[in-house]
Amino acid sequence: MTVAERSRIDWVPIIDAFSVALGSDRVVRRKEEILVYECDGLTSYRQRPAVVVLPKTTEQVAAVVKICDRFQVPFVARGAGTGLSGGALPIADSVLIVTATMNQILSVDLDNQRVVVQPGVINNWVTQAVSGAGFYYAPDPSSQSVCSVGGNVAENSGGVHCLKYGVTTNHVLGLKVVLPTGDIVTLGGEVAETPGYDLCGLFVGSEGTLGIATEITLRILKAPQSIQVLLADFTSVEAAGAAVSAITSAGIIPAGMEMMDNFSLNAVEDVVATNCYPRDAAAILLIEIDGLPAEVTATGDRIADLCRQNGARTITIATEAEERLRLWKGRKAAFAAMGKLSPDYYVQDGVIPRTQLPYVLKEIEALGDKHGYRVANVFHAGDGNLHPLILYDNAIPGQLEQVEDLGGDILKLCVRVGGSISGEHGIGADKRCYMPDMFSPTDLETMGWVRQALDPDLLANPTKLLPSPRTCGEAAHSIAAVTLPNVEHF
Amino acid sequence: MANVAETLGEVVERDRILPPASLHLPDHLTPAAVVYPATEAELSAIMACAWENSWRVIPCGSGSKLSWGGVGSGVDLIVSTARLDQVIDHAVGDMTLTAQAGAKLADLAPRLAQHNQFLAVDPAYPEQATLGGIVATADTGSLRQRYGGLRDLLIGISFVRFDGAIAKAGGRVVKNVAGYDLMKLLTGSYGSLGIISQLTFRLYPGQDASKTVVVTGAVGEMEALLSALRLSPLTPAALDILSPALANRLGYEGFALIARFQSIAPGVDEQVESLLAMVGPALSAQVLQGAEDEQVWAEVGAALFPMFEEQNEAIVAKVGLPPAKAVTWLDQLPSGSLARIHGGSGIGTVRLAAATADMVKELRRGCTINQGYFTLLEAPLSLKKSVDVWGYSGNALGVMKAIKAQFDPHNCLSPGRFVGGL
Ligand SMILES: Cc1cc2nc3c(=O)[nH]c(=O)nc-3n(C[C@H](O)[C@H](O)[C@H](O)COP(=O)(O)OP(=O)(O)OC[C@H]3O[C@@H](n4cnc5c(N)ncnc54)[C@H](O)[C@@H]3O)c2cc1C
Ligand SMILES: Cc1cc2nc3c(=O)[nH]c(=O)nc-3n(C[C@H](O)[C@H](O)[C@H](O)COP(=O)(O)OP(=O)(O)OC[C@H]3O[C@@H](n4cnc5c(N)ncnc54)[C@H](O)[C@@H]3O)c2cc1C
Repeated sequence: MTVAERSRIDWVPIIDAFSVALGSDRVVRRKEEILVYECDGLTSYRQRPAVVVLPKTTEQVAAVVKICDRFQVPFVARGAGTGLSGGALPIADSVLIVTATMNQILSVDLDNQRVVVQPGVINNWVTQAVSGAGFYYAPDPSSQSVCSVGGNVAENSGGVHCLKYGVTTNHVLGLKVVLPTGDIVTLGGEVAETPGYDLCGLFVGSEGTLGIATEITLRILKAPQSIQVLLADFTSVEAAGAAVSAITSAGIIPAGMEMMDNFSLNAVEDVVATNCYPRDAAAILLIEIDGLPAEVTATGDRIADLCRQNGARTITIATEAEERLRLWKGRKAAFAAMGKLSPDYYVQDGVIPRTQLPYVLKEIEALGDKHGYRVANVFHAGDGNLHPLILYDNAIPGQLEQVEDLGGDILKLCVRVGGSISGEHGIGADKRCYMPDMFSPTDLETMGWVRQALDPDLLANPTKLLPSPRTCGEAAHSIAAVTLPNVEHF
Repeated sequence: MANVAETLGEVVERDRILPPASLHLPDHLTPAAVVYPATEAELSAIMACAWENSWRVIPCGSGSKLSWGGVGSGVDLIVSTARLDQVIDHAVGDMTLTAQAGAKLADLAPRLAQHNQFLAVDPAYPEQATLGGIVATADTGSLRQRYGGLRDLLIGISFVRFDGAIAKAGGRVVKNVAGYDLMKLLTGSYGSLGIISQLTFRLYPGQDASKTVVVTGAVGEMEALLSALRLSPLTPAALDILSPALANRLGYEGFALIARFQSIAPGVDEQVESLLAMVGPALSAQVLQGAEDEQVWAEVGAALFPMFEEQNEAIVAKVGLPPAKAVTWLDQLPSGSLARIHGGSGIGTVRLAAATADMVKELRRGCTINQGYFTLLEAPLSLKKSVDVWGYSGNALGVMKAIKAQFDPHNCLSPGRFVGGL
């Protein structure tokens, strides 16, 4: 740490206050223990927080936030730290509030199809808790065995089954939240559409900038009776894209519809060796359908026909659980496979109108050529959510910057065709300077009002989500409203 | 305030400004003028003018759901989006629709149907309802079962702020987490945060086949069936429970459960068979198809929201209950109550010929002890003045106030009409 960066805050009384509120074993200060909290899933950015706290209850979170408010120090919430946009990246001279030990499932109400959890509960524990009774929790990010429900709520995470069943926001009924003032409020409730503003809907996806969720009421669904997975391979990406359009136009909404290009499916075959993805295919589609048996069979036949009509070479159909898992295995391991192929990889997350798929994939390839990097494409084809993966080596000076430029060009391409700069990973620290590409100064100022209303002192994850002139330059100048004078020091 | 029209005349063409009598307004709303902007730019200019002159503004679409919600504390100008009725983009392949707020659902539906698509909402007064009014009141019905509420369908929004500036959020793609979700904030905000000018929705494909099963019987058996149905893998597109009086309007005896299955034909038949197999001997069941399948749903809507007011004293309320409590709650209603609860969400509508403040409080208590809610939509003015219209029982009013203060710092947008007097 250079002299210039040294803390201007006297942490001693603050840490004392935390120790009184939580017990000193829940207040982490030692450098080597703090190290693991320096970054989230976006590992290219690192910053050590001043202190890490590990509350167990809503009241403890409130006590910690009240102390932050009293001393006017910023805080950052962290769940499992798997976020890919630097949302949980600490801020210098901040308090990192880790919810990982708030990991209790508080209640299960099968008759009303609700589960109440603490935020540190891991996504797939919810399904595990109710699967015996035939239920499941639908949003299934690929990171579901490690990411927390609190993080899912903050990012409004999606997954491969979100095409038919919706993303996190469609499954959260209510929240208990500690506001940036330390007050505890309930947003939403046991029943949807409680009177008043939909604050629960506003909070989901707010990336830890409006407070900390400490209890989450989730809706669970009845597991389908029958499931079928189809794997179709194509000799051109256009053909695969056309098949996707044909399926949706025919009135079919599969549970999930994923595409992998030649580069990524080969990477997966190299690493995971599923032996089910034909290596010479230009693209493959993985389509999952679910429902009652007769419906699934008939829909599967129809999808297979549509794929063939659009040039599919072979179609593999799996109905048994083991077979289905085998077909999915490669897709689920796609990011990890890239990690094995290259010292580092950069995951981009952008959305395009589904009909623009063939054009955008060509453009991405051209952009990759221009910047001198190969881009693998694995994505949620059904809803146009792309995940271009760029392989690089962080040890080579300059590569990260070049890759970020390429990633930025891809985002601008998404915006140009009418899409979005994030489908599910969030804006965080990583993308906030691209917000002005998508939103006007008025739009951003108006979003700033939400933040002002809930966090007037800008203490909750202040350097995330919305751009500021300081970090983003000219483009963000007119939205000075989100940078108050009293936050000048970070 | 007679000079409202005059002042406005300097901002927009005279023919955009009409006297209040041009709208069918509830008695307590006495604006000086009604203005009908024809473009978003005109709407923006009108709002900037209203702001400069500190006029209190209430937005509306076609205009008569204006009696819904709180009584409010007065109005100088009503801004109708009725002429902002253009479709901006029906992206057929992407299955999204972008349209201006004044577009009517009934006008859009045939256009979408040409491409075998539809906007999955079934609000009150579907013939008149505008997109802006539907979103501002979060008003949809039985289709919630499969397609969710307005909040789940709306993917992008533009609105004119108190100062006339045009702000937007979301976009035109079905998946998007960039920025705060102002779509959710504006949905159900009853014109208290801004005037919605443009909306983008996700669309759904039309379904091949459709059938409705009507099951009728006594309360105990009905409750058991509903519970079994919730635990079954059946996926009705709509699933409502009707009070005996409402069932009676449709020609049925006792409580009625109406379930609509929509899918490909073999799927529909499979689901219908499965439901029929669950119906015990104490209940009776009937399968409706073709015109009858369509009609039964329209009749429920028409009974709850009659085009011509039968009784002036009637009250209409939106209720929310945990789904498992719905049948018991319906059973405790005064006889003659027309009521419908959506089986999956526990959201519903109840209509009483008349009610006192004490009755409203009692009905509300039945909801809130179960963590539900009871919000008055329609009611005589005197009743609305003597009870809380909204029935918000949570502890986040402070947050709502803070948001209102940011979005409407001079308290000019539908003042006093929203929750907590906002
Ligand atoms: C291999 C891999 C695959 C992935 N696949 C997917 C995918 O398929 N779909 C997808 O959407 N994402 C995916 N992700 C991204 C990531 O897993 C999700 O964003 C996840 O929701 C983050 O959860 P977390 O607990 O790790 O949150 P963190 O990374 O700890 O935090 C994320 C954000 O949430 C905030 N936060 C955390 N807890 C709370 C709380 N209780 N209250 C308020 N704010 C809080 C933080 O401040 C931060 O802004 C993937 C990540 C990896 C590494
Ligand atoms: C009891 C009753 C009886 C009726 N009877 C008849 C009848 O017999 N015949 C008939 O033709 N019609 C009738 N109607 C009218 C019908 O309800 C409405 O025309 C229809 O429902 C459409 O509503 P709207 O979209 O015009 O919204 P409105 O009723 O105009 O507005 C509903 C709410 O949404 C807000 N709002 C509307 N637009 C916007 C926007 N763009 N931005 C922000 N907020 C907005 C308003 O401020 C208001 O709070 C009746 C209505 C009621 C309640």
